[in-house]
Amino acid sequence: MNSKKTINTQGCNRLLSLLALLALVPFQLSAESARLPAGPSGQALAFTCAGCHGTDGSSVGPSMPAIAGMDPEVFVDAMKAYRQDERNPSIMNRIAKAYTDEQFEAMGWFFASQRLRLFPQPYDPRLAEQGARLHDDYCEKCHENGGRPGDAGTLAGQWMPYLHFTMEDFISGKRKWPRKMQRKVDAAIEEAGGDAIPALVNYYGSQQ
Amino acid sequence: MPRRMATAGVVCLLATLLGAMIVPAALATTQPLGGTTEPDEGLMIDNFDPETGKRIIPNERCLTCHGDEQQKTDVRDDGSPVTIFVHSKQIENSVHGSQQCTSCHVTIDRVPHRKAPAVVVGCVECHRETWEQHKDDPDGEYARLAVVNEQIDSYMQSIHAQPNALDQSHTNATCYDCHDGHNVGELGSIQRSEFRLKNPQVCGRCHEEALDEYRTSDHGKAVLEEGDSEAAVCSDCHSTHEIAPTETDKAQLAITQHCGDCHQEAQRTYFDSYHGQVHRLGYTEAAKCHDCHGGHLVKSEDDPTSEIHANNRLENCRNCHENANKNFLSFWPHGDANDPENYPDLWAFKVFMETLIFAVMGFFWIHVLLWLYREVMDRRQGKGFNEDLSKPDLVYYRRFPAVWRWIHFLFAVATMTLILTGTTLLFSHTAWAKAVVDFLGGIRMEAIIHRTAAVIWLSIFILHLVLAIRNIRRNRATFEWFGSTSLLPNWKDLQDLKDMFKWFLGFGPRPQFNHWTYWQKFDYWAPFWGAMVIGLSGLVLFMPGITSLVLPGWSFNIANLVHAEEALLAAIFLNSVHFFNVHFRPERFPMSTAIFTGVIPIDEFKHDHRLEYDRLVENGELEKHLVQRPSRRASLAASFITTVLIMAGLALLTLVLIGLVTAPS
Repeated sequence: MNSKKTINTQGCNRLLSLLALLALVPFQLSAESARLPAGPSGQALAFTCAGCHGTDGSSVGPSMPAIAGMDPEVFVDAMKAYRQDERNPSIMNRIAKAYTDEQFEAMGWFFASQRLRLFPQPYDPRLAEQGARLHDDYCEKCHENGGRPGDAGTLAGQWMPYLHFTMEDFISGKRKWPRKMQRKVDAAIEEAGGDAIPALVNYYGSQQ
Repeated sequence: MPRRMATAGVVCLLATLLGAMIVPAALATTQPLGGTTEPDEGLMIDNFDPETGKRIIPNERCLTCHGDEQQKTDVRDDGSPVTIFVHSKQIENSVHGSQQCTSCHVTIDRVPHRKAPAVVVGCVECHRETWEQHKDDPDGEYARLAVVNEQIDSYMQSIHAQPNALDQSHTNATCYDCHDGHNVGELGSIQRSEFRLKNPQVCGRCHEEALDEYRTSDHGKAVLEEGDSEAAVCSDCHSTHEIAPTETDKAQLAITQHCGDCHQEAQRTYFDSYHGQVHRLGYTEAAKCHDCHGGHLVKSEDDPTSEIHANNRLENCRNCHENANKNFLSFWPHGDANDPENYPDLWAFKVFMETLIFAVMGFFWIHVLLWLYREVMDRRQGKGFNEDLSKPDLVYYRRFPAVWRWIHFLFAVATMTLILTGTTLLFSHTAWAKAVVDFLGGIRMEAIIHRTAAVIWLSIFILHLVLAIRNIRRNRATFEWFGSTSLLPNWKDLQDLKDMFKWFLGFGPRPQFNHWTYWQKFDYWAPFWGAMVIGLSGLVLFMPGITSLVLPGWSFNIANLVHAEEALLAAIFLNSVHFFNVHFRPERFPMSTAIFTGVIPIDEFKHDHRLEYDRLVENGELEKHLVQRPSRRASLAASFITTVLIMAGLALLTLVLIGLVTAPS
């Protein structure tokens, strides 16, 4: 019940955000075009992402990763991987093929200039506490500051369903492990068993 | 109804649009669109340089992994372990404490590392550029970089900077292979003294065998077991940066030179020996410190495993002197003629030789000066022997037959050659000595030239003896051993000497002389004595393998000293006193060519050898000694040869004096 209500609220917010963006488009475009006459700005390019990833990249969809405040090089790496079919896609491989490296970079810089908005999501406090310990032991060195936006991506406050799907992709082999990550995840699973991934996901989801 | 509905619809749509434009804008500026924003810790783009767009990686980010004392190792992608820990406090306290990690680790552009990182660090450019920027700074904060850049230049010339033979993509060693890049201390810091003590282990990472040997040496024990930072570490001998392969002359010369940085006395006495003289000329043919003492194995002579221990010494000598016998053992490799306590014999010989030199030179230079004074005075008063221009010389007296003229010429040339080649060793500290040896083709070629000249020189000496004895035998019926034509000194010579000094001082007339004056006799007997001393000592040194069969090893020390001192006396005497007596005194200036033409004008003969002239006139023998004036061509040739020899002699005298004046104390 509580969960439904949250989703409805999120839907309203998303609608309002879209309308707000529509209202601002003409002004923003004219300002950008004065500076960068060669092509659409990163922000303009990023508008097309908003439908799924939320306004300015702060996603409101539970399975859709937030990309606001994302490391621009991590962003470009991901987009290139999609474009080259090297990363397990949903539809991103099709979308990514439409953009050049420069456009990726422009979008990356735009999202890096945004501050991530976190939305409350339900989590299990016991698992979150266990996840915090696992994170400190196995994840913190790469995903520092509890997994907040950094040079290894964004985990803290990320939508839990998305995190869960992603970890399943890694573990099932659909997505290539980043260097050293498998070793660390294996170690965490060895320590906490089947609770390891849910614990970590709940820990990240608990950071709201 | 439909119309109202349509109107209402339009109104609603407009109202919706207006609301849609106003409300979100108002919300956007006053509060977030739901949710909460990240804490205000800056934006992601703040982690990038706005100018270059490059990522800024703070040291703290690196130290997250590399500064974790709980996990000092990691595993590589291939599973092998690797130490990743760096001591952040050490870095902070080092000269590079204010640097960013990525200032040196320039290839690190992503953290966590997306690919296995390689240590790609170039120290040179940064140090050079920084020095260029700050070398004129008045505060001198970067003054030390001058030394650093000198060391870089030296390193660039070293074997370490050469491409590795097995992998040309790498140098043999680079800065951080030796320097602990994260722990370079300032001058006088604890890091530096610790770094010095670690030097053998640092070098030993690559030079394992050398380290194993070094551990057993006196140096190694002092450093590695006792922690004595005063004892020699690798870089003290091999130099720090300008390191050459040990088989090269450059390295061997440098190492031997560096031994003297600590062992000054040993080096001083070594340089006085033939071994050391050759080394100081820049050649490695003769024994160097490490040849006798062992390089990395250097130990005291009391140690039975030492190469200089009494039991091992002969074997040691045989490394070079293959036929060395037991007599070699009594050679004093560091014999010090200035040390009467330990080397009384050597000291005694030196005192004798130096007394001889000072006495002879002192006496004859006074003789020269007084003679010069008297002749100048006489000539100012119109006295003395002057050429009568109205009556050119037509009649000459034959003073030297051809054989003596040839003997003198060859003897002079051989002597000068010997002086030139010999004094390069004696004055091996001078630049001219090095240049001469280099010009002659190296120390081995010089040795050949010296020995060849010595053979010619001794042969002439022996030939002259044979001829002299034959002449005496032929004339034995009439020859008077102490007569007017004999070169043997007699009482009249002593009287002439006294009378000359009276004349010098204006207390008497110039004495009248026989066929040979006392100074001419001295000019003869001094080289005669010299030939004996130099010749005999030279033979000892010439053939050490043979002479050591009958002579003790220390005779080489004596021979070396005597040979050098007597040669020095001869070189100075001949090229100063002899030249003055024969060529430079005002009556003869600029030269006498008599020894090459064989004749002197009859008037000059009459003036210099009046008693002989009168005797010949009285006996009616003068006529048979008289000859015509030499041809113009013969005179010119004689003048030319004399000029060349005089100039060569003066040049040699100059070189010898330079050597004496600049000799290390």
